[in-house]
Amino acid sequence: MTDRRETWLLLLPGLALLVLGFVLPIARMLVLSAQGPDGYTTEHFARFFQDSFYPSVLWRTVYLSALITAVCAVVGFPLAYIMARSGPRVRLWLVIMVILPLMTSVVVRTFGWMVLLARSGPISSTLRDFGLVGRSFQLMHTETAIVLGMVQVLLPFMVLSLLGVIIRLDPRLEEAARTMGCSFLQTMRRVVLPLAAPGLLAGSILVFTLSASSFVTPALLGGPRIEMLAGSIYKNVTQTLDWNFAAAQAVILFAGIALLLIPYLRLGRRAHG
Amino acid sequence: MSATARIAIAASLCAVAAPALAQEITINSFGGAYEEAHRKCVIDPFTAETGAKVNIVTAYSADAFAQLRAQKDAPQYDVIHFSGGQEIVAASEGLLVPVTEELVPALADLYDFAKAGVAKGEGPAYQIAAVGLVVASDKVPSEPTKWADLMKPEYAEHLVLTDISNGYGMIGLLMLNQVAGGTLENIQPGLDAVGKLLDAGAVVVSKSPEIQAEFAQNDAWIAPYASDYAFTLKKAGLNVKFIQGEEGTPASFITANLVAGRDNVELASKFIAKELSPEAQACFSEALRYTPTNAKTELSDEVAADVVYGADAAKGLMRFDPRVIEANRSAWTEAFAKTIAR
Repeated sequence: MTDRRETWLLLLPGLALLVLGFVLPIARMLVLSAQGPDGYTTEHFARFFQDSFYPSVLWRTVYLSALITAVCAVVGFPLAYIMARSGPRVRLWLVIMVILPLMTSVVVRTFGWMVLLARSGPISSTLRDFGLVGRSFQLMHTETAIVLGMVQVLLPFMVLSLLGVIIRLDPRLEEAARTMGCSFLQTMRRVVLPLAAPGLLAGSILVFTLSASSFVTPALLGGPRIEMLAGSIYKNVTQTLDWNFAAAQAVILFAGIALLLIPYLRLGRRAHG
Repeated sequence: MSATARIAIAASLCAVAAPALAQEITINSFGGAYEEAHRKCVIDPFTAETGAKVNIVTAYSADAFAQLRAQKDAPQYDVIHFSGGQEIVAASEGLLVPVTEELVPALADLYDFAKAGVAKGEGPAYQIAAVGLVVASDKVPSEPTKWADLMKPEYAEHLVLTDISNGYGMIGLLMLNQVAGGTLENIQPGLDAVGKLLDAGAVVVSKSPEIQAEFAQNDAWIAPYASDYAFTLKKAGLNVKFIQGEEGTPASFITANLVAGRDNVELASKFIAKELSPEAQACFSEALRYTPTNAKTELSDEVAADVVYGADAAKGLMRFDPRVIEANRSAWTEAFAKTIAR
């Protein structure tokens, strides 16, 4: 009996924070999204789907987030593996290198990309010098720019999630696989990757949700002509003060992410056995 | 409360306050270079002349207006400055005391457009941010003279438009719309024009530093934008010029307003009088290239070349009704986003 009471007491601060910081705002958002001038209404949701503009913004948000997640996984997995298998000193330095970008403001990092990707930046001018692209070519204000910038911001989340799992894998498993005739790549595919799946899943979920809801980097690198849903919500909250419609968009984003996460979580359960 | 009643109260407040003048007023300014110039041209000389202390709160128009509304019963500002037309609503809600020639004699010297709303209780405009064509004069093959020139195909790939989340961007769109045959009731012609320009190669940016980047690095020639920003580019070493379109020069008015319910209206009026004085206005134009509203302001040739200056030039100034803009902001922002979306 006392045990249970103590458990509740220990849970209380966390629960209170969750209710105050998450449940209440979400409930408020749900109410706002359905509030009209006279009572409850679905007009804000209808407005979202009235033409192809907002659905296309939603679609771009989903597929760019998926692409960013995939790139992070492909880049992050080898990196995490090497980190896990190197000595403690080298690992420390690699971890610092991966985390370092998180220590500067996202705006500063994004401005760095803006310089690199601009029309007169090194990438565009080199391509132009080789005659590969036209005079007005630039990577700024393209989806490529968003993916590049976001991958840099979010890679640490993927790498650290993977590192935590891979580092605990017994290296003898790999040695066994090699002595049984697996090549290095086969060992990766058949032994390391399946065992690292929980880390990959956790990292993917983090990266996907973070990129679906971020707006600073996409707004700066994508420019006003390539909109993502979080940016559109931000605009409705701060500029047009259309909070009901902003809430409706937020609910749709929230529901969209939740729908995508359900199969992921199922997979996760299976991976955990 | 009628306007005369309000004046009467204001006057009686002055009479009461006069013997022991409250030697302190609170104002808002807009931060950064603007606030610096505000200090140098108005606040410091004012303090030197009257010995009064000026408390500055850095707050943009929308925030300042929200505070003014919230503090209705116990206002904290004596003089409040707006750049987005908030004085129209504030006056209609009785939050302001009308500025009169008795309180501020310099009012008589203002151009008519700068005091058009004074009769309705709105504060006078002490500066005008005029929107015209910011042109890279060393690069453009032939200088544009009118807004309609923006549609010329030879400029298209070198044209920078600004998102309407930016105040000057909004004014630029409305002017483009007017030139294309639209009205404030129907901005479709303007949106169509923007769509055409983008198809031809123009770029859209959302923040003013991006305009600078476009001019400095990306071979931009023309951007419909404000005269003060043209000066910012000039100071950054770019060879740009501010050109007024023949069809007219839309502008954003920066007004100084007396707040109702404060007990040192007289000192606050003196502050506004200082802002309207030719010296202060010349100083502001010199520092930031805003257009003066006092007809007696004298500018050096160098400054005069960069701003809308003189009775004739000022005649071309026009103002899109801020209330209509506010009422349509949400719908226009959405329509604009749809127009520019790739």
